[in-house]
Amino acid sequence: MLNKSLVKKFESILGTNNYFTEPEDTMCYSYDAFSAEPVQPDIVVKPENEEQIKYIINICKDENIPIVTRGAGTNLSGGTVPVKKGCVLLTTGLNKILEINENDMYAVVEAGVVTANLANAAIKKGLFYPPDPGSMNISTIGGNVAENAGGLRGLKYGVTKDYLMGVDFYDMDGNYVKGGGKTVKLVTGLNLPGLMISSEGLLGIMTKFVLKLIPKPKFSKSMLVIYDDIIKACETVSEIIAAKILPATLELLDSFTIKTVEEATKIGLPTNADALLLIELDGHEAEVLEDFEVVKGICGKLGGNIKVAETNEERDKLWEARRKALSSLARLKPTLILEDATVVRSKIPEMMKAINDIKNKYNLVIGTFGHAGDGNLHPTILTDKRDKEEMERVEKAIDEIFTKALELDGTLSGEHGVGFAKAKYLEMEVGSGTIEYMKKLKKGVDPQNLLNPHKMGL
Amino acid sequence: MDDLIKELKELEELVLQCMKCGTCQAHCPLYQKDLLESTVARGKISLIESVYEGRLDKAGSILKHLDYCILCGRCKENCPSGVKTDEIFLRAKAVLRKIEKLPSWGKVVLKIVMEKPDLLARVAPLMHIGLKFGAKRVKDDIFKPLLGSFSKRNIKQVASKPFTKTHGGLHKADNEKMKVYFYPGCAANFLFPEWGEAIISVLNHFGVTVYVPEINKCCGIPAATLGELETYKKMVNENLDEINKNDSEYVITCCPTCQYALSEMGPKLTDKNPDKPFYDILMFLNEILKVKFNVDLNEKFSLHTPCHYLSSKKANLKKHLEENFKGDFVVLENQSCCGFGGTFNMKKYDDSKAVGMSKAEEVNIKNIKKLFTPCPGCAMQLTDAVVEVGSDAEVEHPIMYYARELEK
Ligand SMILES: Cc1cc2nc3c(=O)[nH]c(=O)nc-3n(C[C@H](O)[C@H](O)[C@H](O)COP(=O)(O)OP(=O)(O)OC[C@H]3O[C@@H](n4cnc5c(N)ncnc54)[C@H](O)[C@@H]3O)c2cc1C
Ligand code: SF4
Ligand code: SF4
Repeated sequence: MLNKSLVKKFESILGTNNYFTEPEDTMCYSYDAFSAEPVQPDIVVKPENEEQIKYIINICKDENIPIVTRGAGTNLSGGTVPVKKGCVLLTTGLNKILEINENDMYAVVEAGVVTANLANAAIKKGLFYPPDPGSMNISTIGGNVAENAGGLRGLKYGVTKDYLMGVDFYDMDGNYVKGGGKTVKLVTGLNLPGLMISSEGLLGIMTKFVLKLIPKPKFSKSMLVIYDDIIKACETVSEIIAAKILPATLELLDSFTIKTVEEATKIGLPTNADALLLIELDGHEAEVLEDFEVVKGICGKLGGNIKVAETNEERDKLWEARRKALSSLARLKPTLILEDATVVRSKIPEMMKAINDIKNKYNLVIGTFGHAGDGNLHPTILTDKRDKEEMERVEKAIDEIFTKALELDGTLSGEHGVGFAKAKYLEMEVGSGTIEYMKKLKKGVDPQNLLNPHKMGL
Repeated sequence: MDDLIKELKELEELVLQCMKCGTCQAHCPLYQKDLLESTVARGKISLIESVYEGRLDKAGSILKHLDYCILCGRCKENCPSGVKTDEIFLRAKAVLRKIEKLPSWGKVVLKIVMEKPDLLARVAPLMHIGLKFGAKRVKDDIFKPLLGSFSKRNIKQVASKPFTKTHGGLHKADNEKMKVYFYPGCAANFLFPEWGEAIISVLNHFGVTVYVPEINKCCGIPAATLGELETYKKMVNENLDEINKNDSEYVITCCPTCQYALSEMGPKLTDKNPDKPFYDILMFLNEILKVKFNVDLNEKFSLHTPCHYLSSKKANLKKHLEENFKGDFVVLENQSCCGFGGTFNMKKYDDSKAVGMSKAEEVNIKNIKKLFTPCPGCAMQLTDAVVEVGSDAEVEHPIMYYARELEK
């Protein structure tokens, strides 16, 4: 609990409506989308401008109060749980799209802008902001940058880092820091936008971004391919890539996920299929049609049954269904643990087999879906955190999934970040020297360790 | 206190369904306005959890957050995990209400609305006169009261006699082919009796005999939203008893919230089920009578879909309008709730109105002249909002046009 005079200091700059200290208010910021023990912060602040942010940082620094920056709180690695209590800083009040520049094709947005709002604003001007995490209707650009969020289009268009040109942020001394800018080429100083990508709120509070926009693809074709053997579906993915075709989207859903998504969305997915691939090709019409024929051939050869989305409405429904995959799985069991182990693309079938074996070995319910095209699978373990014995098996299964992913030249996290969920595994992937380096970096810019402490084990 | 915590804990199975994904943020009209977790389902659910898990000791303090909710059900409708937010909120409020007593205005409202429908019917004419003299006429039958907390509102004229007083009883159709029970609900009874009259005349025209109860018993939703679940259950029971006693084939409503209260949520909480299907009047025309109209509107019109309209029928509603009206149908970009929420509008008028205004602004900018909605609550709220933004759009129920069409 903060003492009264300290609270008054916050009030003097934020006014009475933009800070919260009552337990029933702060409790609403004790969790995020990762299932962890909630921790209640002491104070929640909702600044509306950069002046206020600077002031908040100064108080927190003087008083040794940790700051956790929070966008929409949709991260899946516990990144916004205030493990050391302190102050949660909401960016939701900074939600203006400041500029969409059609001539130079970039956007300038504040940190709390919802991803889908930017994407829609760009579309209205004939431009395209490709990163589309499943959470895009809720997540913020700040959160996307801090987690380097990827989406359904990652395979062809890349992820958030590929669109970040510039970033404004405040460090823990309240300094305004500017990284990158609006030009396509820019090499002045250290690559600070690169540093802020995946920084999970550990290195500064980001307020503004310059994001690259690209021309809207002229033509697209979406299809749903139905398989009665999931391994065949995985092989299809590898073969499409091997045929040097880059679909915009190449998503996989296993039978389990298909059934629950269908229950949630009622869009008419084939519930007796063992797996589905959702494929979208986009680009120039002639090229798309040519690639489509090749993809059709590969799918057919591996036993896939193709259905092409005839209208935009049909296509949107497919995408919406895929975006709801994760949350739909939560219908089945109280606790849902989602992993995002990622492997190089050619190893997808092998990873899929390993997940299946692990599932059987530990007798667990696992639904798997994911951005198969970029090697990013989401084995999702359905359990009940109240069942201690099962939770132990879950823990072991996760250890094995990660070990396998690393064996297959993969990574612990393709997009959801480390937070504290995966902190203990980090060294396994990067080695102790890397951890040491990260620690020095963090200590250098935040010697009191006040910015989102304990995440990534730092 | 321990008993209350235990009662809250009974909600655990429902609460655990929420995986805290945050999807509800995109759909909650209040979150869109305030951008705070306490306004959205995820936050409210986590508060309930915190109380029974012992992380929050002042249980009563969370009631204000549960109360700050339109109960529009958009979170439930869009929750991929299938969390029954409406049931969770109503039941949790009922438990917490035992700690935080209902303010006296709430008790008075419930006493009169729920328990004394006769008294309510008798004071209606007084309110009618009151509005005539104590208010400024804004247009046709819309008034702005001169005094007190109501002076910010643009209010629909109260009927000089409630609909059930003038139309209670059996309205036999010539060449009768079926019989229905028409449940008007409070709003149609006092504010929109013309909807009721239109419903009777249209149904009679198609050979449907209409029974209207002599006294309208409130569906109980205002009680439920104030956390008085027992009163709500009592109203559901009384209404369903009466409906089940009647020898009609269907129950017709013109208020999606009443229909939700009596045929969806009510049966869940009381275990009493209606013995005949409920139909909103428009879907009844569509699906049972299978009739079509051909109303020529020479102006821009649009549709506001009420939150409590059965989710499976929402798409049909739009189709219905497109098929029965000729004219320039504009789909609103803002598909959010109107912000009314019955008691929410009384408790939190400014927040409620802010939600409605954002919609009305679009209506104004797009120069829409008729805004259709088949819900009296939405109609009141949107009327207030369009007047406020200076639009001359009229908020209407399609049935009014059908009745006029048949008179021609
Ligand atoms: C249903 C669902 C689907 C999802 N699908 C995907 C997906 O397809 N791809 C994907 O990559 N992720 C996905 N996610 C995870 C999540 O949505 C992303 O990580 C997203 O980028 C988080 O954004 P947010 O605004 O919610 O950030 P938050 O969760 O609020 O914060 C995430 C991290 O960023 C930091 N942070 C936030 N804003 C700032 C800022 N302005 N300055 C500094 N630090 C900041 C926080 O401190 C925290 O460490 C999904 C999540 C859910 C619930
Ligand atoms: S109520 Fe549903 S949509 Fe909202 S956070 Fe919980 S699971 Fe997600
Ligand atoms: S019922 Fe409506 S207002 Fe209440 S939390 Fe759900 S979406 Fe928000």
